[in-house]
Amino acid sequence: MTANLRTGIALAVALLLVATLPRWAGDQYQLHLAALICVYWILIAGLNLVVGYTGQLSIGHVGLLAIGAYAFAILAGKMGWHPAAALIAAGALGGLCGLALGLPSLRLPGFYFAMATMAFALIVGEIVLAQVGLTGGGVGLPGPVFPAPFDTPHGFYYLVAALAVLTTWLSWNVARRLWGIGLMSIRDNPVAAQAVGVPLFRAKLTVFVFSGITAGIAGATFSSLQSYITPDTFVFELSLFFFVCIIIGGRGSIVGPFLGTVVLTALPELVAPLAKLGNFFYGLLLLVVVLAVPEGIGRMVEVVIERVRPRVVSNEPIEPDLPRLARAIGAPS
Amino acid sequence: MFTVVVSGLAIGMLYAAVALVYNVMFSTSKVLSVTTGHIAMLGGVFGAWFMTGLHLHWVIGLAGAIAVGALFGGLTELLAIRRVLNRSDEHLWLLSTLALATMVQQAVGLWWGTEPRPFPRLIDQTFSAGALDQKFWLPIALAALMAIGLEVFYRRTLFGKLFLAMSEDAFAARARGVSTDRIRVLSYVLSGALGGLAGFAAGQLTFAYFALGLTLTLNGFIALAVGGLGSNVGALIGGAALGLLNAFASHWFGGSYQQTIAVGLLMVVLLLKPEGLLGSKNVRPV
Repeated sequence: MTANLRTGIALAVALLLVATLPRWAGDQYQLHLAALICVYWILIAGLNLVVGYTGQLSIGHVGLLAIGAYAFAILAGKMGWHPAAALIAAGALGGLCGLALGLPSLRLPGFYFAMATMAFALIVGEIVLAQVGLTGGGVGLPGPVFPAPFDTPHGFYYLVAALAVLTTWLSWNVARRLWGIGLMSIRDNPVAAQAVGVPLFRAKLTVFVFSGITAGIAGATFSSLQSYITPDTFVFELSLFFFVCIIIGGRGSIVGPFLGTVVLTALPELVAPLAKLGNFFYGLLLLVVVLAVPEGIGRMVEVVIERVRPRVVSNEPIEPDLPRLARAIGAPS
Repeated sequence: MFTVVVSGLAIGMLYAAVALVYNVMFSTSKVLSVTTGHIAMLGGVFGAWFMTGLHLHWVIGLAGAIAVGALFGGLTELLAIRRVLNRSDEHLWLLSTLALATMVQQAVGLWWGTEPRPFPRLIDQTFSAGALDQKFWLPIALAALMAIGLEVFYRRTLFGKLFLAMSEDAFAARARGVSTDRIRVLSYVLSGALGGLAGFAAGQLTFAYFALGLTLTLNGFIALAVGGLGSNVGALIGGAALGLLNAFASHWFGGSYQQTIAVGLLMVVLLLKPEGLLGSKNVRPV
């Protein structure tokens, strides 16, 4: 079985699972959880390109999520736009804000960049609280519902699942081609990347804007899913959660962060004591992963698989073509 | 107007104290720890707990706050820095200190409660003193003392000179027989003690509040970046500038945009003078 065929089968099975999930989900709550995972994944799929591939540690994406959520709630709720138009506008606004944030901050090195993005998240919270007339201040805004086929929990699930599949496909397209390799080279060695002609700043900015767009769209669906948003919804710890999902899943992979998102979203909901510990648990998990398996759990699984079933390294000795060599150096044969 | 200046200077000096703590850690390890603000938060919370919860004298409370800070500083080095510095990936210390900071903040939130609680008065004084209130001048005096003390420490003591040697070139210091690991733990314990002290002194200004750590981490870093990484005088100037700017902005325009203004200051300085006001160019190219 070739690798392509195997990937194709895995993809088909995964798509089938996503499509049939409402059939075997036990109750409304589990369906809600599945929709929440999809919404988070829309954001994380974009953020994964920034954090996992390019190695820019953005811990402020909750600010972009909040911008998308409020844009959608204001446009579709207060101003009466069609939700589809509002969704697109939220994504565009997220991308614009990503551009505005990325232009100055992506020039900064590691810690400076992380602090700048964190400050951005705090600033967004501050502005949302201060602009009472627009955002409702601390009281918040109702999140509008999507029209007819998408207004039931089932319909909404299919909407966000389709969006999640779309963003996954887009980010996979980036990741598996030359772009993805270029991004990873920026992460691993920016000097070498620049030396072979990777446009550092432009590549970073492009994926950052893409992550802004996905964050805006995730925010729009998030506000509809939560049905009411306040500034308290978008605490800084949520940003940390996105970040932890990617780091735990493993950098430079798409399946790893996806599994991280699923497990970390579902686990505190299904295991009650973890919900009480909440962010303490995420912090602990992050520390353990960073200290024990910095490459992420996804990489660990790969290593274990390789142990159990070592890759067959075929031995192909290379025979020198002596007559041709002799001709080439012009020696008498 | 005088009250605005004094209150701005007081909060600015708290940021400056946090920036000094950053500097002490940075000198030996070249790491900017996310836990820096949380050390000060622990100093405030544990100081309040020792005095109101256990009804101890404030001197013992102060000693306890310093001890807790020092303990946490040492713990930061052992848990989050030591193993990570042995690897080549420079992003990892950011992740590990972020994880530790989150854990501490959540643990304190679960134990202490998520509401800010008052910090007891240290010295008998009526509340009518206005701008001369102890909650303003305690942090101001402390940050000045800390900067002077650190300067004396660096110039007059052997350990201070070892810190300087490590900040110049850790490999060379190691080659000369300095136990760099031990000096690094020592610097983290020292910075923890200073952070605990700062949090204790500013407790009446900030209240004993679990979420303070992240704000202090950010604003202390802004003070540091404005003043110049590695410079203690720069940290004082940066902190004072940040505090005064915030105080006057909230006096004139209301207090809703404090963080926006602080980050605006940072961006302006980074654009005009990336190494900060008093930073040396080769410390870290931005």
